[in-house]
Amino acid sequence: MSPRVWWKVAALFLLALALAQGEVDPREEAKRQKQLLLETAGILPTELIVEQGKELFNRKGPSGKTMAECDFGLGKGVLEGAAARLPRYFLDTGKVEDLDGRILTCMTRVQGFRPDQIRRQEVVAVAFYIASFSTGKPIQVRLLFPQERELYTLGEKLFYARSGARDIGCATCHVTYVGRRAGVLPYADVLGRDKSWTHWPAYRYSNDQIWTMQDRIRACYGNIGHPQPNLYSLPILALELFMAYQNNGAVVEEWPAFVR
Amino acid sequence: MRRKAVLLGLLLGIGLSQMGPFRARFEAALHSGGHEFAQVMLAQDKGQALCSQYRDKLPPDLIPGFLAEQKALIKYPANGKLMGDWRNGEKVFTDPKRGNCYACHAGVPEEVAYGTMGPSLTAYGQRGTAEPVVRYTYEKIYNAWAFVPCSLMYRGGVHGLFTPEETADLVAFLLDPESPINRR
Repeated sequence: MSPRVWWKVAALFLLALALAQGEVDPREEAKRQKQLLLETAGILPTELIVEQGKELFNRKGPSGKTMAECDFGLGKGVLEGAAARLPRYFLDTGKVEDLDGRILTCMTRVQGFRPDQIRRQEVVAVAFYIASFSTGKPIQVRLLFPQERELYTLGEKLFYARSGARDIGCATCHVTYVGRRAGVLPYADVLGRDKSWTHWPAYRYSNDQIWTMQDRIRACYGNIGHPQPNLYSLPILALELFMAYQNNGAVVEEWPAFVR
Repeated sequence: MRRKAVLLGLLLGIGLSQMGPFRARFEAALHSGGHEFAQVMLAQDKGQALCSQYRDKLPPDLIPGFLAEQKALIKYPANGKLMGDWRNGEKVFTDPKRGNCYACHAGVPEEVAYGTMGPSLTAYGQRGTAEPVVRYTYEKIYNAWAFVPCSLMYRGGVHGLFTPEETADLVAFLLDPESPINRR
């Protein structure tokens, strides 16, 4: 080959390299940031929150009971893999509950706290702790009870609904426009390749936030200029059940996760 | 009330034959998300309800009627001018509460914070300012669904995110040769 051709090949190679660097895989970038933080601080924020959640879990409530007296779906005090099987219907409350909601039930019904005594940050910390027992477990959510099926149907409708002044819904970006971006990051393939249900609860290093999927869903609605559904409400639960069921079988890489 | 019930039936995809306790439970579930949340969900207009029901892929026989109904929603400035002031247009284009256009489109070449959901609008003005171009641009901005049913581009004019006059200003920002979007 002539030197000119070689020069062209080299230029193309450099161009490809530059393009590749411009579009960094967000998951690879999150891993890099996590490593950096671990090297500088010696401990990860996720580990700190899990530790805090553990303390809250073992704290006695007004009834004198710790959260070990609560059933998170696999029996009293069993945490191993419990979060990967939520949301689900609970016979004792007669309701479908996710991790956040079940923690609330535990703190009020078993530990004897009044609802107004429960701080959101405490619920999230306990959620981090309980979720940490499901790392490496597959998502296994069932639609056995009519309450679960009805909520799933609502979740599916909400996911595909187009509403509000921006005519948008979840699927508009997270199904139809996967890979394109409105902000810095490309839209995740929530139901498909990205298995987004397994990404929460998580620590978001860009905003220093600790979030469960409840917070994530509320933020989504906020981003599209839509009134946000209340925490612990049925629309959130319905969307969670729909997404979890769609991601059934996906293995949790790490809970709590570390995301941008 | 009847109209609202029809639309809710569309939203939830359960049809009119199953009204009653089933639908009432859905409505109650939405309300548990908060009054405002439920209101927006229950106030879906016919277009939104159809796009939801068919997941953005309307059956071919519904498309002509859909386009005609969306076209009928377009309002025009009182003075009849579809091309206004590009300087104000740029403000509306950039304002996250009004146009918010950079979320999806590239615009002025110097602006690097733009989304890639929609096509680049840089040098949009190369189409010229003939009447059909101006009219198409105006109507597309005011109500994108009058051209592409259920497209991602929201119907900013229909929802009052910007007025007919501001829509004309947006048209000017895209088409005026003096606009920075067309500067070379």
